[in-house]
Amino acid sequence: MRPMDLVRRLRREAAFEPAALERGRAVLMAAIRQEVEHAPRPSIVPQVPYEDIGAALVFLQHAFGFREIPSSRILHEEAVIHAMVEVGDGVIGIGSQGAHGARSPQSTGMASQYITVYIDDVQAHYQRALAAGARIARDPREHSWGDRSYEALDPEGHRWRFYQRTREAPRI
Amino acid sequence: MSSSSDADVIRRSLGVPEAFGLIYDRHAAALLRFLGRRAGAKVAEGLLGELFRIAFERRKTFDASRASALPWLYGIGANLLLKHRRAEARWLRASGRMAAALQTPDGRASAGALEARLLFPRVADAIEALPDDEREALLLFAWEALPYQSMAEALEVPIGTVRSRLNRARARLRELLEPKGKDRVTSR
Repeated sequence: MRPMDLVRRLRREAAFEPAALERGRAVLMAAIRQEVEHAPRPSIVPQVPYEDIGAALVFLQHAFGFREIPSSRILHEEAVIHAMVEVGDGVIGIGSQGAHGARSPQSTGMASQYITVYIDDVQAHYQRALAAGARIARDPREHSWGDRSYEALDPEGHRWRFYQRTREAPRI
Repeated sequence: MSSSSDADVIRRSLGVPEAFGLIYDRHAAALLRFLGRRAGAKVAEGLLGELFRIAFERRKTFDASRASALPWLYGIGANLLLKHRRAEARWLRASGRMAAALQTPDGRASAGALEARLLFPRVADAIEALPDDEREALLLFAWEALPYQSMAEALEVPIGTVRSRLNRARARLRELLEPKGKDRVTSR
């Protein structure tokens, strides 16, 4: 018999406990949780109130390309009352209208602030938002110093300014 | 979703760490069997979670041009096994004894059976005596039936190196199993 065939004859399967795979998965999941929970977060997190958090989350991801942070949802009686979205290294809390004294423009008729989001490509972002049905509050334009921006409203009237820096030094 | 390649899933897991769970679901059973064949169930069960934890932490370094993560995971498993050489050696020697016993199920003490009884423990010892890199190549090839390309990815060496390690391992086994002189163990 050739050496390789002899070696093959020594191949022997081990008999595992049925729970072995679940235990291994638990180890991995603990490492994943560790990383998620210890991810660096910015020191300032704006909390933006919505009457319909579920619809806001869908819109913000679909139209603006934000990403919901997994496992960030807080539920109360099966309804989402808070969640977090991130874009780049920024994080925004999506909260309930009325909580912490914050109100959605949908109920007050006016916004008290707008949020600037720095992105890589205003034109592509604009097209995406437009296609997703975002209301455009200000068409894309190029500033005299070369930067580009446009502004859009989400379904409840929060104003978002998307800004593309074309110079090294930030200008706001 | 499940049709996306491992590379896609790992790329996604950079932003969404939970996505890496899919890599586990796809490959954990194969890796558990691999570790079990090498070091027995107990060690394998202990190493499986560790293997995937390491893979998760190193996922940024996964070469995205490879569609499957399996060879990469084999490589991590092989490195982990190096820390459990004694358990691996015990399992291998036990496998040698069992292969010898299987050769003679009816207990007949024929000349061939006697030869086999001596032979398989010697094969185990010979594998055990190989340098680590040659033993690894040999067992990935003989037990896991990995193609050369996958072995190269697992061991992080060029295919030519895989071939030369296999050739060296073969030659060394032949040498170890067929000591000079007339008392050759293999007859062919």
